[in-house]
Amino acid sequence: MTAKPIETDRIWRGVALTAAYGLPLFFILLPLCGFLVYSLFRVEGTELYYDLTLANYRRFFTDEIYIPVLRQTVVLCLEVAGLCIAFGYPVAYFLSGLKGRKKYTLLMLLLVPLLMSYIIKMYAIRSILGGNGFLNRTLIALGIIDQPLTFFVFNLNAVLLTLSVLLLPFAILPIFLSLERIPRNLLEASHDLGGSSRQTFFRVILPLSLPGVISAATFVFVLAIGDFLTPQMVGGQNGFTFGRIIYSQFGTAFNWPFGAALSVILAALVIVAIVIGTWFGGEKAAVRR
Amino acid sequence: MTVLLELKGVSKAFGATRVLEQIDLAVEDGEFITILGPSGSGKTTILRMIGGFTQPTTGSIVLDGRDIAADPINRRPFNTVFQDYALFPHMTVAGNVGYGLKVRGTAGPVIKQRVAEVLDLVQLGSFAARYPAQLSGGQRQRVALARAIICQPRLILLDEPLAALDVELRKQMQEFLKAIHREIKTTFLFVTHDQEEAIAMADRICVMNYGKILQLGSPTEVYYRPRSEFVARFFGDNNLIEGVVTAGGAVETPIGTLACASDDAALSTGAKAFAVIRPEAIRIGAGTGADTVVAGQVSRVSFGGAATVAVVDVSGVSLRVKLPSRAEGVSIEAGDRVELGWRAGDCRLVAA
Repeated sequence: MTAKPIETDRIWRGVALTAAYGLPLFFILLPLCGFLVYSLFRVEGTELYYDLTLANYRRFFTDEIYIPVLRQTVVLCLEVAGLCIAFGYPVAYFLSGLKGRKKYTLLMLLLVPLLMSYIIKMYAIRSILGGNGFLNRTLIALGIIDQPLTFFVFNLNAVLLTLSVLLLPFAILPIFLSLERIPRNLLEASHDLGGSSRQTFFRVILPLSLPGVISAATFVFVLAIGDFLTPQMVGGQNGFTFGRIIYSQFGTAFNWPFGAALSVILAALVIVAIVIGTWFGGEKAAVRR
Repeated sequence: MTVLLELKGVSKAFGATRVLEQIDLAVEDGEFITILGPSGSGKTTILRMIGGFTQPTTGSIVLDGRDIAADPINRRPFNTVFQDYALFPHMTVAGNVGYGLKVRGTAGPVIKQRVAEVLDLVQLGSFAARYPAQLSGGQRQRVALARAIICQPRLILLDEPLAALDVELRKQMQEFLKAIHREIKTTFLFVTHDQEEAIAMADRICVMNYGKILQLGSPTEVYYRPRSEFVARFFGDNNLIEGVVTAGGAVETPIGTLACASDDAALSTGAKAFAVIRPEAIRIGAGTGADTVVAGQVSRVSFGGAATVAVVDVSGVSLRVKLPSRAEGVSIEAGDRVELGWRAGDCRLVAA
């Protein structure tokens, strides 16, 4: 062979490398840096000033609205993560216990909602949760209640339920994968040594699936905390979250620098969450190698 | 010896595939029994059935006069050393070894003491706090063994536990397992496909193929007195000479009529059969004690360490002859015409 194919090879490798490093750099890192820079500008009235200042960050830490809303949002997203794990774990466990084709068909069905439009799912959930929605009407028809319940209508509870339903597949998948990765013979070994099914679950299966649980929690938390659309649509007046504040800074207040500052703070929080998740997951996984 | 466990008419089928057919096997109390066979012979299925990981399609597994074939795994007084050890990766060596006692609700201090004892027994006393990932293959093997013996089971099942180790380590582990067996006097049921391993370790060898037991006996029995072509071929480099059984119980072959001993009474005159002669039983020269003498030409001589193997062509049949090696070489070389002799007792007759 001549040198020509090798030459083409090198060009292609160059292109691939550029794409692999260049695309994330251009489309993720650069915009993030843009935000960082923007957060240092300021707005007075309707005028944007390009001088660098930390005033936006000062405002976040001194104004008494933002930190409580952020705290409330973090708590909400932790609850969402908790709910998703609580419901996702049994589902993943059930799935991993199935055999052959059935297992993957059901898994596919569970993932179908991920392919659907976010807006459609949200409207569907609204029609279930609303004051005159499916859930209330069912409960009334069954005679369990005689007045429509309000604790899940256009408030933080509605946001909690909706986010949990929407993000459930993101919890099921990593847990399912971590359960699948547990060698069958470990379960056999546990039974062989006299362990009951219960003991096998709590002493072998659960600890070995913890890395999956941690990455599921990280996924759900990160996705939930960045979501502003769900609280916007099902949260009503009371369901205020940090994402909505950021949205309003860009959308209604036209204070982009302050919005950017809040976004940077949120991004920092997300990065911390991912680092903690990776660290814990890595800690658990390190032992297994 | 008393019988500990008995398999009676055990068969296993996966759909249309018959894995085991009418297995009868009595495991004696305290023995080291090896089930030997190629892959797909059903040997592992027998072990898994005794352990409770799979149920027989028909037949019974009797322990203390009771059929335990349907008992759950965790109710059987047996423990298993798995092929790839199946150590719990998230537990330390001590956690792994103590697991059996822990799930039985044994008190912490007692567990700690027993774990220390058993780890000393397998010479891993100082490794209690390590994780399996931090151990070598041989060490993991010993942890798996310690974990299986700590509950003092009636029977220890070993599923090709040495297969993953390199040759030198495997030899050491064979010695080690034998030593442990002598020490704790528990019954060992050991599954392997390696006939040398089986010979080196077992009190009795159960040779299997195609879901059937072909022969059960001491290592010397199955080695020197094969009862079937498969067993004769499976143990090393036996010479098998095809022929026809004559009226006198000898076998008529292309190299002459050979006097043979046989354990197979069913071989009738005129039946096709093999004369089986171990290569080390053949002597060069028609020396003393030889009942059968044939002449041939040496076609090649190859040095193989302790033994030198000569291939001798006798009337178109190649016979392997194993001679003790010497530094100055053996007395024959390729092209020599030689006489080969052996005693009738060293020639076994098996059905073709």
